[in-house]
Amino acid sequence: MGRKAQSAIVGSGATPYYFRGESAPQTVLELIDKAVLAAVADAGLHIDDVDGLAFFAFGFDTGMIIEQLGLKNVTFAHCVSAFGGGMAGMLDLADMAVSTGRARNVVCIGATQQVGRRVGQALGNFAASPDNIFHRIAGLNGPGQALALSARRHMHEFGTRREAFAEVVMASRAAAATRETAFRRKPLSMDEYMAAPMLADPMCKFDFCLETDGALAFVVTAADRARDRPQPPVYIAGAAQHGSCDWGRAFFWLGQTPEAFVSAGGVKVAERLYQLTGMTPADIDVACLYDHFSPLVIMQLEDFGFCARGEGGPFVESGAIRLDGAIPVNPHGGHLSEAYVVGMTHIREAVEQLRGTAVNQIAGARTALVTGGPAPTPMTAAILRSEP
Amino acid sequence: MRLSITPDFAALEIARDAWSEPFWQWGEQGEVRMPACLCCGAFRWPAGPFCPSCRTQEVEWRPAGQARIHTFTILPISGEATKVRMPTLVEFDDAPGVRLVSVLVDADPDTAAIGMPVAIDWLAASNGKVPVFRMEATGDRA
Repeated sequence: MGRKAQSAIVGSGATPYYFRGESAPQTVLELIDKAVLAAVADAGLHIDDVDGLAFFAFGFDTGMIIEQLGLKNVTFAHCVSAFGGGMAGMLDLADMAVSTGRARNVVCIGATQQVGRRVGQALGNFAASPDNIFHRIAGLNGPGQALALSARRHMHEFGTRREAFAEVVMASRAAAATRETAFRRKPLSMDEYMAAPMLADPMCKFDFCLETDGALAFVVTAADRARDRPQPPVYIAGAAQHGSCDWGRAFFWLGQTPEAFVSAGGVKVAERLYQLTGMTPADIDVACLYDHFSPLVIMQLEDFGFCARGEGGPFVESGAIRLDGAIPVNPHGGHLSEAYVVGMTHIREAVEQLRGTAVNQIAGARTALVTGGPAPTPMTAAILRSEP
Repeated sequence: MRLSITPDFAALEIARDAWSEPFWQWGEQGEVRMPACLCCGAFRWPAGPFCPSCRTQEVEWRPAGQARIHTFTILPISGEATKVRMPTLVEFDDAPGVRLVSVLVDADPDTAAIGMPVAIDWLAASNGKVPVFRMEATGDRA
C-alpha cells in the first residue's frame, strides 16, 4: 500500500430520488440543503461545524447555500472544473482542504433537477458557437447520441457485441432488484433487450441511464479526527484528476486520439490514481463506475485495468461484473437502474459498502473505486478504503 | 427500406469566428479545406488560435482529400417508420488527425459501414453553406 489516507468520509446524506422533474416544487437548492443537513447529522456534527464546501460540474450558488443554511465560517469553497467527469475530483478538493488545515469539515455536494431541461439533451441546450455548430448540423443533441459514435467504433475495432452492452444492463437490473431506492428493479432478459427500440444505434433505450432528480452530500474530515465520529470512517485512499489533449472535450469534440476515442477517457487518471495510492486493479473489491451509458462501463473496465483494451466485451459477458463476479460493478444498480445524480449515488454506495451496510453487501469489501463520468476533462477518480 | 433524411438547414445560422471563417469561405466554392500549421504542418480542428503541437498561430488551408466514414449512428425520427437521421464522423486522406461530424444523407443505413468513402455536398443555410456527406455514386448511379 502507498501513503496513509489523509481524510475520510464521515457523513453521508441524500434526498429521496425523484423521477425527472418530480422533485418540484422544491428548488434544487432546497434539495441540496436537505442533503447537507442529513450528511451533517449522519456525521454526528452540527451545521455550525461545516466550514468547507466542494462542488463539481459548475457547482451551485455558494452564497445562497451559505445564506439558506446560515453558515457562519466558510473558509474553503471550491469547484472542480469539469462536467460529470469531475465528480470524484470533489473528494480531492475536500482531501486537500482538510489535510492542509484550510477547513475542518468539508461538505461535498452534487445534485440534479431536471425541470424544464433534460441532461439527456444537454448538447442542444448550449448557445450556437463556432465549435459546436457541427454537432447541430449532425443532429447530436445529447451525450448518448455522441457516445454512440464511440460505441460503434469499439465494436468495429474489437468485435464488442451488443450482448455485452446487454449484460451491463442486465447485471445492473439484477443488483437493483433488492434496492428500495431504485427506479428500475424488474429483471431484464436478453430477448427484452434485443427487442427494445434503438435510440442511437448501436445503443437501444436500455443502454441509456435514468433521468432523475435528487441531491447528495458527504462530510469529509481529517483522518486523525475521523474516528471521533459515530460512523465507521470511509477513508479517501486517494483521489486523482487529470486533463490531456488526448481526450480534451471528449464527445463535445470527437477529435480524441484514436486510442482515446475507443476509451472512456480514464487511462491517465487511472494511472495517476494507482500511482498515488500504491494500489492496483487487483486491490479493488467494488467498482462504482459512472454508468450513464452501458458501453462506457465496458470502456472504463479497460481504462482502469480490470481487463485489457478491447477485451471489455468478453470480460463482462463472462459474468465478471455481477455481484459474485471478479469485480462487482455498481451493486446499487447505478445510473442505469437506481437513479442518476451525476455520479453522487456511486459515492453513497461505496460508503455503504465500506461501512458494511450496503443493500447488496459484497462480503469483506475493504476498497472501492469511484469514477467520474466520461466527459470533458479533467477526468477524475477516487479509491475509498475502510482502513487508513 | 429505411433512408436517411436530408435536413433542412435554411434557417440555420452558422456561428463563425475569425479562425473558422476560411472553412466556410472554401465551402462556398464547394471545397473542404482544413487548417494546417504553417510551422510544423499539423492539422488542427476545430480551427483555433494555436497549433496544439508547436503553439504556432499561422495556418494554411489545405485540400482535405477523400473523406471516409470513421463511425456513425442512426437516430430514429419520431412518427417516421422509414426515415432516420445519420450523424456521421469522417476522416480525410490528406488531413490526418482531423475528424468532421455532419449528417450522411440519402443513405440506406444498412449499407453504411466504417471505412466507406463519402462525397461532400454543400447545402444552403441562412448565412452560408453547410457540408453533408453522401455515399459515393455506385455503378448503376454513376
